[in-house]
Amino acid sequence: MSMPPAQGAYTCPYCRLASGGADRTCPHCGAPIDVRLKVSDSGWIEQPPIRDMARIRFSRSTCQISGEYVPVAEMGLHDDDWVYFSHHVLLHSDPKVRFDNMPMKGAWKRMRAGMPLVMMRAQGPGHIAFSADHPGETLAVPLAPGRVIDVAEHRFLVATGNVAYDWQNSNVWFTTPGDDNKEEWHYPLGQTIDQFAVQGGNGLLLLHAPGNTFIRDLQPGQRILVQPTGLIWKDQSVRMFLHFEYPHGNYWYSSAKWQAKTTWLVLEGPGRVAVQSVFERPEPTGTVRRSSGATTQYW
Amino acid sequence: MDRIECQWCRAQNQTGRTNCTTCGAPLDTKDLVTDSGWAEAPRLRDMTEFRFSNSACQIEGEIVPVAELALAQGDSVFFEHHVMLWKEPQVPMSALNTGGGMKRMLGGMPHILSVAHGPGRVAFSRDHAGEVVVLPLHPSMELDVREHAFLAGTHSLTYSFVRIKGLANVLHGGGGMYIDRFVTHQEPGLLLLHGYGNVFQKMLQPGEKIMVEPGGFLYKDSSVTMNAVKQNVKTGLMGGHSMYLAEMTGPGRVGIQSMYVHHGSE
Repeated sequence: MSMPPAQGAYTCPYCRLASGGADRTCPHCGAPIDVRLKVSDSGWIEQPPIRDMARIRFSRSTCQISGEYVPVAEMGLHDDDWVYFSHHVLLHSDPKVRFDNMPMKGAWKRMRAGMPLVMMRAQGPGHIAFSADHPGETLAVPLAPGRVIDVAEHRFLVATGNVAYDWQNSNVWFTTPGDDNKEEWHYPLGQTIDQFAVQGGNGLLLLHAPGNTFIRDLQPGQRILVQPTGLIWKDQSVRMFLHFEYPHGNYWYSSAKWQAKTTWLVLEGPGRVAVQSVFERPEPTGTVRRSSGATTQYW
Repeated sequence: MDRIECQWCRAQNQTGRTNCTTCGAPLDTKDLVTDSGWAEAPRLRDMTEFRFSNSACQIEGEIVPVAELALAQGDSVFFEHHVMLWKEPQVPMSALNTGGGMKRMLGGMPHILSVAHGPGRVAFSRDHAGEVVVLPLHPSMELDVREHAFLAGTHSLTYSFVRIKGLANVLHGGGGMYIDRFVTHQEPGLLLLHGYGNVFQKMLQPGEKIMVEPGGFLYKDSSVTMNAVKQNVKTGLMGGHSMYLAEMTGPGRVGIQSMYVHHGSE
């Protein structure tokens, strides 16, 4: 299973694949072609929402995005193509589409982290549709061979059969004193992170991002601080760790360590990162006992 | 005289109109249909107005839309009391007993519907992001609607309900799903629904089947049969759970929404 050959005069700024450029949307990721690139003064590129009814091609199948509040990804699967997904995103299917299981390693850890234990596989021919059940945008990330990306948990919607799926501990955590002086563990990014890589030809990965999506290409060593739950995906080459900021107290006796601190996720290039405009309200946690590795700033 | 047929409700409109007088659907935009035949419900423009009986309805807002009704003398609408956003003080109210009181209460459904009578204005909202779906019903039509999707119905509609056991109880821990049934007799009627997320409709041919996630089901013609079908896919650590889908069989139309709602089990 592979994407169509990437050749042509137009290179999509969002998926970086080439095409003829004659269509209104990129055939690889569905991004509009006929709109101006929107870049903020600081360098974030706003990813335009995929237009209603836009089509993406992969292998001998198609993916059509419909709806704009809570978009639906409808796939027209060819006989030889298959996709996998978590069962709760399935919206409708032709009766002829065949389903089976795709078991995964680490069931106990995944259950504790609130992640699905089993992926479902759908084999063509037939139409099948998926919805993430939340307002936001569907992101199409075409993956070229050799490219590995890390995706924040609960963002994955569906992937083509040639995209290899793995997951790791996010290794982004810290502890604070809890009740009875026990350590309380915090995972600002979630306990796990999904990894996707491609075997053979190009593959297609669909993600769901609440709110709007922004992407940025970080240079080697360049750092940016983001809300941990704002991360959607990043290139594997992008390093990440925590950063705690303590604001200055109002009075001379105010101790910075008792102030509500800000917990940031540091993303360090090189590589591309994507963030969403919806994120969870951060917890104003107190003293940090231990962490997975973090920098600190007292103002 | 040339007429424009509304592709959503099939009503005839005068040329030059930009939206349908019967359902408010835009007449000057292309219908959006997916490759597999799902037609996207028309996105009603902000402040779109259309008429029913001697009254008017205006749809306001686009993210959590409001349906504002200007009721004429002699017209009335019924609704679940909690969807009423505001009303003019002089609009008379009455109650409509649905029957099945205790069972409906246990199922989280109201057993009394409120009725607002004209003249005067009253407005409704379902308090969630989504779309108002306008369904004009011709005489002698029967439409089944999932629980908690009904926004308001005109006085010419007869309301009843059925409880479908087994549809949403295994996966979502609920006690089944209530289906509201709306029937027209001699007069046409108007039904307003709230679809969570985006709404799509498909016309099934006789015997044609489609599998739908039970939480995504929104409405269907009563001629469409719906059965809970177990999918042989294990999802639990011990292999004890299975997945259920609603198998819809034509003939008739089926409406779905892109957010999965299971109020009874929340």
